[in-house]
Amino acid sequence: MSDPTKTPNRLCLPRRRLLKTTAIGAAALGFGRSLPALAQDEPAKPDEIIVRAWGGVWVDSLDTGVSQGFTEATGIAVRHDLTEDNELQPRIWAAVAQGRTPPIHVNWDTTTNATKSALRGVCEDLSELPNLDGLFPAAAPIGLDGFPIVNVYSYVYVLAYRDEVFPDGPPTSWNAMLEPRFRGRVALYDDGIGFHPVAQIAGGGTMAEIPDNMEPAWAWLERLRDQEPLLGEDPDFTNWFQTGEIDLACTIISNAREARLNGIAVSWTVPEEGCKVDTDALWIPRGLPDNETYWAKQYVNYALSAEAQQTWCNGLGLPPMRPGLTPPEDLAGDPAYPDSPEDFERLIAVPTPILVEHESDWFARFNEIMQG
Amino acid sequence: MPSTRSFRYPLSWRLLDLAEEARRLLWPARWRRAVPYGLLLPAILLVGVIVAGLGYMADYSLRELDRSTFLLAEDYSLANFRTIAERPVYLRILWRSLLAAVIVTAVCLVLALPYAYMMVRTASPWARKALLIGLFLPFFIGQVVRAYGWLIVLGQQGLLNSALGWLGLGPVDIIYSYPGVLIGLVQYMLPFAVLMLAPAITAIPEDMELASQGLGARWPATLWHVVLPMAKPGLVAAGVVVFTITLTDFAIPEILGGGTTDFIANAIYDGFFAISDAGLGSALAVMLVALASFLVAVIFALVGVGTLGYVAERSR
Repeated sequence: MSDPTKTPNRLCLPRRRLLKTTAIGAAALGFGRSLPALAQDEPAKPDEIIVRAWGGVWVDSLDTGVSQGFTEATGIAVRHDLTEDNELQPRIWAAVAQGRTPPIHVNWDTTTNATKSALRGVCEDLSELPNLDGLFPAAAPIGLDGFPIVNVYSYVYVLAYRDEVFPDGPPTSWNAMLEPRFRGRVALYDDGIGFHPVAQIAGGGTMAEIPDNMEPAWAWLERLRDQEPLLGEDPDFTNWFQTGEIDLACTIISNAREARLNGIAVSWTVPEEGCKVDTDALWIPRGLPDNETYWAKQYVNYALSAEAQQTWCNGLGLPPMRPGLTPPEDLAGDPAYPDSPEDFERLIAVPTPILVEHESDWFARFNEIMQG
Repeated sequence: MPSTRSFRYPLSWRLLDLAEEARRLLWPARWRRAVPYGLLLPAILLVGVIVAGLGYMADYSLRELDRSTFLLAEDYSLANFRTIAERPVYLRILWRSLLAAVIVTAVCLVLALPYAYMMVRTASPWARKALLIGLFLPFFIGQVVRAYGWLIVLGQQGLLNSALGWLGLGPVDIIYSYPGVLIGLVQYMLPFAVLMLAPAITAIPEDMELASQGLGARWPATLWHVVLPMAKPGLVAAGVVVFTITLTDFAIPEILGGGTTDFIANAIYDGFFAISDAGLGSALAVMLVALASFLVAVIFALVGVGTLGYVAERSR
């Protein structure tokens, strides 16, 4: 784990400037290769396309890694809609069902949610995109025909901790969250996402029992509830570390890394039980005008190019779906940045079909436990 | 005798006559009875839209989510209501919301009465202006910003804990807890209560209080036997407004509850957005509307409609 004292505040802006410069340069080099394959008869360009994104470091990285390069190459402005993915999903579903134009052009979504949308039949087919060639097999959706969605990177829900509370080294087990000294000072996502399989292992269960017997997970979570955890969303974790509200959190590595890059003495680890690894996806809703669908596909295609993947994923600190790219210096060799089969063996992956079918029930059970 | 042949009404009179004739043609007298209904039309349309929305909600609430397609089933069933009945978490959340509504209503009425009384009765225009500013300023700030204000005041590194630190006392955890949510709700609801109470207190003739005191009653007796009974319509109206808004509030529990102090509105939100189950979310919404309507009806039946029906009661 790198030393947070070596990444002072001032690195924040130069890093972003570097990302921006790299993105524009990469666009000039890379977009020309990726676009023409689809562009025999380019339809009319819209003034802008709207891409749903998460806030904070997430949208910053998308902007510098993908959106700016796309705009540079096409002249089409990109507007980022920061509506929460779960909130936007029913609006898109309703728009498609009612024959209205969907509110966005490209949805940056969790793979589980994106798969639900694909099952509902609201996604455009992306199979023709040239930049699908050469991606890791994990880019392809599971249990769906073709490419109604495309996975764009992997990410890990790490155990993030405040350095000062673990002066002798990182915690080795998720059970650290149950220590009395951390009562009221641990945090999870408000639906427990990323934590259910971890709780299963920490509670003495096995992955083979998922989803039929999750009792070990629920029993462990009931012990954790007595610790009075805080439950929030991505930006909350950075904020809570900054304001001294929490010492430990289960969060995506990007949030912990962003907190550290902003000068907060926070580190992360993969405990002995492992961490959940998952993927995010891009997809395009049906019902857009043809020309807008075309350019939305160009956006997704560009996001899959080596140049965009390199900049975008490095900004997020996440391993991309395109092989052969260079990991960020501060994450090279980090077990929370899996880029080899051995790395993935240490992590916990739940198959997407199981998540699609059962995750809502897990959210409900998690909520039931945490509401006391 | 003066000649009448040359007499003509002034031009302005004749123009008015023409206008009156035109009005008669465009809006005959027999249509006048429709005027009140016409004025009601916007309100009827607005309520109609809400009722239509509730109709859709009721329809969704009777259709179960098909997890293989994530579409609501075509067939009607009570599955969503069974789910609510079978999961104790919903009963806990319901109880928490109701308890909060009762506590916040009681606290707000206790705090709002002296505030409204002072605002109405004070002889100092400066004091009245200050109280009015104090009343209306929160409305300009908004609920979410006020909730975040509490995070700043009550957080681990907030004003309260900083002050306690200077005094050598340990930090206290108030936010992200039920008491924290109640504090936020009281602050949010208090101006509503004052606004509803002030007209009722204005309607109490000051002479009545003077008469009470002239007959030897001390101030507490005057408050108990004169002010409170005569302010009852305002208290009822303020209580109903505060109770229903608190019962259905979303933002304060969401921001100050730390994720473990949900109210019914948060559970509805989770139904729609966290687990993508519009059927379950609708069933919870229908349950909330039915519960709130029933409780308000009970209150009206027990203590009357307060200033909400003031004109109708007076006309009887």
